Amino acid sequence: MAAKKASEGFAKVVADEVQRWGSMKQTGVSLRYMMEFGSRPTERNLMRSAQFLHKELPIRIARRAIELQSLPFGLSEKSAVLKVRDWYLDSFHDLRSFPEIKDKDEELAFTQMIKMIKVRHNNVVPAMALGVQQLKKDLSPSIVPKDLEEIHEFLDRFYMSRIGIRMLIGQHVALHDPNPEPGCVGQINTEMSPMLVAHAASEDARSICFREYASAPEVNIYGDPNFTFPYVPSHLHLMVFELVKNSLRAVQERFVDSDKDAPPVRIIVADGIEDVTIKISDEGGGIPRSGLPKIFTYLYSTAKNPLEENYEGVHEGVTMAGYGFGLPISRLYARYFGGDLQIISMEGYGTDAYLHLSRLGDSQEPLP
Amino acid sequence: MAVKKASVDFVKVADEVQRWGEMKQTGVSLKYMMEFGSRPTERNLLLSAQFLHKELPIRIARRAIELENLPFGLSEKPAVLKVRDWYLDSFCDVHSFAKIKDMHDELAFTEMIKMIKVRHNHVVPAMALGVHQLKKDLSPSVVPEDLQEIHQFLDRFYMSRIGIRMLIGQHVALHDPKPEPSCVGQINTRMSPMQVARAASEDARFICLREYGSAPEINFYGDPDFTFPYVPQHLHLMVFELVKNSLRAVQERFSDPDKDVPPIRIIVADGIEDVTIKISDEGGGIARSGLSKIFTYLYSTAKNPRDENNSQEHERVSMAGYGFGLPISRLYGRYFGGDLQIISTEGYGSYSRSDEKKKKSLRVFSNRNSNHLKREARGVVCSRATTRRNLLWRKGNVSFSWHVPNLMLG
Repeated sequence: MAAKKASEGFAKVVADEVQRWGSMKQTGVSLRYMMEFGSRPTERNLMRSAQFLHKELPIRIARRAIELQSLPFGLSEKSAVLKVRDWYLDSFHDLRSFPEIKDKDEELAFTQMIKMIKVRHNNVVPAMALGVQQLKKDLSPSIVPKDLEEIHEFLDRFYMSRIGIRMLIGQHVALHDPNPEPGCVGQINTEMSPMLVAHAASEDARSICFREYASAPEVNIYGDPNFTFPYVPSHLHLMVFELVKNSLRAVQERFVDSDKDAPPVRIIVADGIEDVTIKISDEGGGIPRSGLPKIFTYLYSTAKNPLEENYEGVHEGVTMAGYGFGLPISRLYARYFGGDLQIISMEGYGTDAYLHLSRLGDSQEPLP
Repeated sequence: MAVKKASVDFVKVADEVQRWGEMKQTGVSLKYMMEFGSRPTERNLLLSAQFLHKELPIRIARRAIELENLPFGLSEKPAVLKVRDWYLDSFCDVHSFAKIKDMHDELAFTEMIKMIKVRHNHVVPAMALGVHQLKKDLSPSVVPEDLQEIHQFLDRFYMSRIGIRMLIGQHVALHDPKPEPSCVGQINTRMSPMQVARAASEDARFICLREYGSAPEINFYGDPDFTFPYVPQHLHLMVFELVKNSLRAVQERFSDPDKDVPPIRIIVADGIEDVTIKISDEGGGIARSGLSKIFTYLYSTAKNPRDENNSQEHERVSMAGYGFGLPISRLYGRYFGGDLQIISTEGYGSYSRSDEKKKKSLRVFSNRNSNHLKREARGVVCSRATTRRNLLWRKGNVSFSWHVPNLMLG
């Protein structure tokens, strides 16, 4: 790939194309639309979906590729970031060089191709994290990552866009599933039980906690077990997992030497008219008010940095505390469908995390 | 008074108001008030009086000028004109007071500012009435929360009032021959937040009982022996407002007397930076789209109970009023560098009993309120507070910030 890029003529053509597509307008899709469209996976609809993605994906990918090449503080030159940029350029190229989709065969081939694109980009998050870390090392120690507003804003846009791209690809690919789960439209479960998902995610978080501390506080979940609403379970799972992981860690560390029993983490699932709100409360000692803005910045972590240079492989053992991307990315997932994530803390007592999931499903994807 | 204003002196007053309104304000921190006020010697009383003699006219004039330049014709509403007259009168009183040279002058000055404080007792309901009068005249499509400028004005205005009354109150209290132990004026150096919260909650429950015939229970959690320096009256006001809201929400949601009513929970946590008080209820929550509204002035879910007849004493507090409780509570919270946040879980309070073994009965909290008080006890915290907590309100080229003061005297 690198050799190809070195040929000037080619590079210029590609660069122009990327520039051109990166300036085109993006088209957002709402959860409701995805549900309705995806519930009728006829051949005709599959074609339309493929043709839409054939135009839309290059636009979104090109946009990110351009940004990746113009990051401040020399971030664009870090090796990890160059790698990510190459992934984006390759994917752009794959899409652009795919001919017009006119029949079912072409549609199937297209679907395979974007499936491969999704796989190619699987490790973007740790790769970018590594890149930012490489930058952090080179910067003067007086510059604290949270001062680098521009970089945070870029990462927010970048990851939000990635969520969208992967959602669209995932939905399209899932439409081909001959045996879809009942109630499911691709990655969307029209009858998702938030309590069930929260339970599963908490158990996952507890097992990580067990592995690291040899014990784990209880997690109690309150709410209507029969309540369901349409949402993407994998998104919710990710968010709850992150939040519960943080809570467990805080409680564990606070009560490790104590004679007292570790108080349970409590999850409340509330169904409102506008929102489904999931509150995750712990008595882990809380976060001082001055520290709150930091927790949503990229690369703020109270843990030793477990990131290593070797990010090629599958992102293996999730640890209890990582490279500091868990919270900001969870918030992006929440906001993707019009919700939000708020953390409110009582220093000396504990922290409450509020996950607001919009029920209406009408909000358009955010298109940064 | 109005006739006096019509005379030739009026122009001079206007000039003076303008001049003083442009002078720089001097902020005072809680820590400073405590230290200064703990030594009420004659010399200090004189210093304090002389400081106020210069500082009060500046703050009062600033507000008087703003009151005359409000948008949407708010300045012309009769209630607002009345308030403006109070400010002008007070300005005249302080400004025309002779130089304070001895204890005799100082005592007279203290009496005078005491009267000023009384004169301004009903500013809040008066301004509320003025805004209400405005609301009626506006096109119904204009929603109060759209009137950003007015909200920002009211925030500045009330915050300034809190400060003025704090300063006057402190000075007057320095003359108290028998101060409460551990109290420095309105500041209790060993205030127990639990105690204040309990008292405020009882007051709120009383109002609730009166209006609904019953009131939900309130449970308290935290160290009953924990104390820190703060102004109990401020905390009382904030907790009272918040608990009142919680009680009302729960009461209205659980109007069926046969069902168990979930209690309100108050947790007091002492941290290093902050003392945090959390007031939680299961009253059904507030939709996320409605949250921004609750801090606007004049948003209230109650029928508007205020009538035009506000000349009498501000009598019975009702459970829901003219919508000033929350925004003003937040100002009190912020006055000393703290804050007040409301976070809601819409729909919580559907008290479902289930046979499912995993679930315990729903007696736990969903949060509506959280109230952070800045802890000023320690020097370190205070200096952090003063560098961090620079609250600036800008109107034109005028700014007002809180920081450790250099008392300018003479």
